[in-house]
Amino acid sequence: MHTLTLRAVDRGIRVDCEESETRALLTATYGHMRDEAGAADLHYIVGRDSARTTFFIKRQGRELLTAPDDGAFLQLFDEDIVIELQKLRCDLYFVHAAVLTVADTAFMLVARPGGGKSTLCWALSHHGFPFLSDELGPVDLQTLGIHRYPRAVALKTQPPASYPIPPATLQTSRSWHIAAEDLPGGIGTGLTRLTAVFFVQYDAKAREPSVRRLSVAEATGRLYANTLNALAHAGDGLDAAIRITAAITCFELVSADLTATCGLLTATLKGLLLTSSP
Amino acid sequence: MTASQNSTAGPQLSDSVMVEHPRRRSDVNARLVEGEMVVLDRTANLIHQLNQTASFIWHRCDGQYTAREIADQLVDAFEIDLDTAEGSVKAALQQFEQLGLLERAQA
Repeated sequence: MHTLTLRAVDRGIRVDCEESETRALLTATYGHMRDEAGAADLHYIVGRDSARTTFFIKRQGRELLTAPDDGAFLQLFDEDIVIELQKLRCDLYFVHAAVLTVADTAFMLVARPGGGKSTLCWALSHHGFPFLSDELGPVDLQTLGIHRYPRAVALKTQPPASYPIPPATLQTSRSWHIAAEDLPGGIGTGLTRLTAVFFVQYDAKAREPSVRRLSVAEATGRLYANTLNALAHAGDGLDAAIRITAAITCFELVSADLTATCGLLTATLKGLLLTSSP
Repeated sequence: MTASQNSTAGPQLSDSVMVEHPRRRSDVNARLVEGEMVVLDRTANLIHQLNQTASFIWHRCDGQYTAREIADQLVDAFEIDLDTAEGSVKAALQQFEQLGLLERAQA
């Protein structure tokens, strides 16, 4: 038995791994969230059955989860841990987003599943933006600080050759999982104040990327549609979404060529930070 | 949950709609932010963003005003002619209706 102790959104997670393959999978994906401090608020037991044909996840209070392969196992684990963290921190506003930092502030990339959010996150890391999260943007509504959630970046498809996947990257039946430690832009620390959100849409027909500033109302609709726990908040979470979008700057980013998209986003952030600096 | 934006394009309602008293559904959650309305319809699992004109019309869909009276108010507020205002009101009501955001109108 090997125990992995993680910390996310100031909550402890203990994972007892009954054999080596599940341990390797979780260490590769959640390794940067290791933290021995504090008590465990969540406790998992994971492993494979005796015939080694099925992965399983046990957690007190729910039925046994099983998965036929490593990709399905990680997906089930990801989903369960995200739901449980929402219950443990219902004060936070959880957005399905990738998050990076620039000049001690954070910005989110929000997209529909398969919309290129993780690939853009991986590419932006090559342009020097420290990483906070690939999947989860937990926002503190009092401070608009965003917690880091440095799970590995999960790519469903190979990125362009200019942003190659590191050779030692974990590949499962469903995705590549690039460890947070392997991101060239480094990893951000602590709670970081949110300054911008980019709602990303990939347009295969677009010759070049484009960016458009959104009104608070339009941004609110888009943010709300990508919020995981809106109903945990007063007014069905609508006021919380407005609190965020009214305080920051939101853009629609139509992505095209990845390098050009990174360039446009970088220039947009530079302009934003210049206009907002004292 | 899906986000949508309103537009005023598309086929319009007949003139008879102008004497009705449109009333927005009471169970939707709406907020006005910087002149634009955000309307959350949990029943349909949709969130809508209305432009300023549609927001103005939505705000007056309280069962008190006829569509024609709303159009008159639109003329004053946006300094547009009555035909344009009526067209905008019809288009907005058509869209609210299609989205299921209105209670049954009362004559």
